[in-house]
Amino acid sequence: MITVNGAFATRLDDIQSQVGTSVTVRPAGSFGGGFFERGGDNNSGGANNTNGGNNSGTSADPAASTQPPATLADQDVNKVTAISHVVSVSSQMTARYSGTGLESAVQPRQGANPPAPAPQAGAGGGFRRAILVTGTDDPASPALGVQSAQLTSGRTFDASESNADVAVLGQALADHNGLKVGDTVPINGTTFQVIGIFTSGTQFGDNSLFVPLTTAQTVFNRPGEIDQAVVKADTASSVDQVAADIRQTLGQGNVDVVTEQTIFQAITAPLSDAKDSSRLGMIAALGASAVVILFSIGLVARQRVKEIGILKAIGASNWHVTAQLGVETAVISVTAAILGALATFPLAQKVANGLLSSPSAPTGGRRGQAFGAVAGRAGGLLGSVDVAVSPEIFLYALAIAIGLALIATVVPAWHVGRVRPAEVLRYE
Amino acid sequence: MNKQIEANNGYIAVANDLVKHFQSGPSRVRAVNGVSFRIPSGRIVAIRGASGCGKSTLLNLIGALDKPDSGELRVDGVDVPRLTGAPEVAYRRRKVGFVFQQFNLISHLSALENVKLPMELEGDSKRASDEVAGALLRQVGLADELHRRRPAKLSGGEQQRVAIARALANNPPIILADEPTANLDSKTGRLIIDLLQALRRDDRTVMIATHDVDVAAKADAILEMSDGQIVSRSGG
Repeated sequence: MITVNGAFATRLDDIQSQVGTSVTVRPAGSFGGGFFERGGDNNSGGANNTNGGNNSGTSADPAASTQPPATLADQDVNKVTAISHVVSVSSQMTARYSGTGLESAVQPRQGANPPAPAPQAGAGGGFRRAILVTGTDDPASPALGVQSAQLTSGRTFDASESNADVAVLGQALADHNGLKVGDTVPINGTTFQVIGIFTSGTQFGDNSLFVPLTTAQTVFNRPGEIDQAVVKADTASSVDQVAADIRQTLGQGNVDVVTEQTIFQAITAPLSDAKDSSRLGMIAALGASAVVILFSIGLVARQRVKEIGILKAIGASNWHVTAQLGVETAVISVTAAILGALATFPLAQKVANGLLSSPSAPTGGRRGQAFGAVAGRAGGLLGSVDVAVSPEIFLYALAIAIGLALIATVVPAWHVGRVRPAEVLRYE
Repeated sequence: MNKQIEANNGYIAVANDLVKHFQSGPSRVRAVNGVSFRIPSGRIVAIRGASGCGKSTLLNLIGALDKPDSGELRVDGVDVPRLTGAPEVAYRRRKVGFVFQQFNLISHLSALENVKLPMELEGDSKRASDEVAGALLRQVGLADELHRRRPAKLSGGEQQRVAIARALANNPPIILADEPTANLDSKTGRLIIDLLQALRRDDRTVMIATHDVDVAAKADAILEMSDGQIVSRSGG
């Protein structure tokens, strides 16, 4: 249990250390899955796109029972930028594309029920996994805002290419369409040059591409609109204040404002619960071990009272008797601790997995891209709790076992040491 | 050692009005009740009496296994009741050798290791203690092939021989034997008494607590005890 508890604590520390000062701002309702419920694809381009956020508040899907969320606008970003303690604001606009210029690398599962075709789903309304196209004005981010993404070839776009027709493709998408750096790809009538290829480590993550924000707004006919803004606060302590100011500035009911801290707390809740459970288990195990060790060693010491009396009768000092019992107990304890560790440490990973069964907080992208990115990071961390038996943990266990055994030995030995040999021998 | 004996007017052990109580339930029992004696060096002294008369308690007081409630006791020049700590440990190790009725050998040690134990506590080297222990076991008549055996693999008489060898390990001037033949058959018992008698040759004093008249008959002097008191003395 020490090992399991230590592994959970380490993982929580890891996650905590990655919580930054980001505040994500999205239109109200988006974090509840709004983005993916916004209707059909944005692959038609041009004027016939009605779903992509024109602030009209009209749903593209007649069957939809909820109002689609509004989008943010450039002026909202300007207001947020003016808020105290805000260091930077980066904007993103994301659209789904299922046109003919690129074929999705993710195929539907056999037998999966396709969603009801939206009016914009293309000729015939056929079901395809859409490709996520993200426009971003944060080209300085080496990973394009995706924490786990890494460029495998080429480069990302820079500030001078804010209006350029360039794209950075996910590895799966590039492979599936036979594209490489330098090739071109048509999207909604615009020909993009592939300047980089990245991988995020997941099939869905790699089934996407990044383009400059302004280019994306133009291609998908959403000028001036953004789906989310990522605000950086100057310090961790000012994050909550910045989040509150954003809500006040843009209107409490108009935006969802989520800090990384909030997201991580939600996602790490099962890990924290598991850690609490393992701590309780550890305390219970320690208590039980203490009772067993104290009882066992105490019993052995009592059974050896006669031997102690004999030793004292032939000239052994109290120190000699206590030391002899202590050394013997230490040897037994070390041996028992090593054997116990060898027997139980292989079970530690299973115990950890059992305690951390299924996280209650979502870890995927259903809550929007930003949330998904952060959640994905935490989710990956949650899923990779590694219960390694470190030397420190082993020494902890060993020290506890020896300490308990020595206490259990020294107390009766000290007691016997004070007893007259005749008294001990008389009753034995 | 001789100078110390002279300081005690030639007596190895001198007691004056020794008293020892025990709590037995609600009552307080006087196990040793005003005992006084003078034991010359190099004698075999039998302390005889029925069970519970106080003879074992008296030996325990002389061996510093217990403390008297009052009275004086000097053994080989040492004021025994005042002993505490290291001097008390040293006294038990060097001045007296104890032979118990139940043998009281350490069960997980061999005969040789049991005899070596007092010498190791004294700080003797392994080689020296090996040699002395082997010689003592041969002296008490234990065959070499039995030296490596644990007590459980020895007969009662053999165990008592090991116990006598252990009592002699640090060459103490006085041996205290508490009912040494009580757990032995009569033939073996006689052999053990002969062995204890032989110790007198080294000017060693042997005090034997016994209720056996035959054992007491082989002693140089007999202290007869009853109800914690010495009721008669005979011999030298």
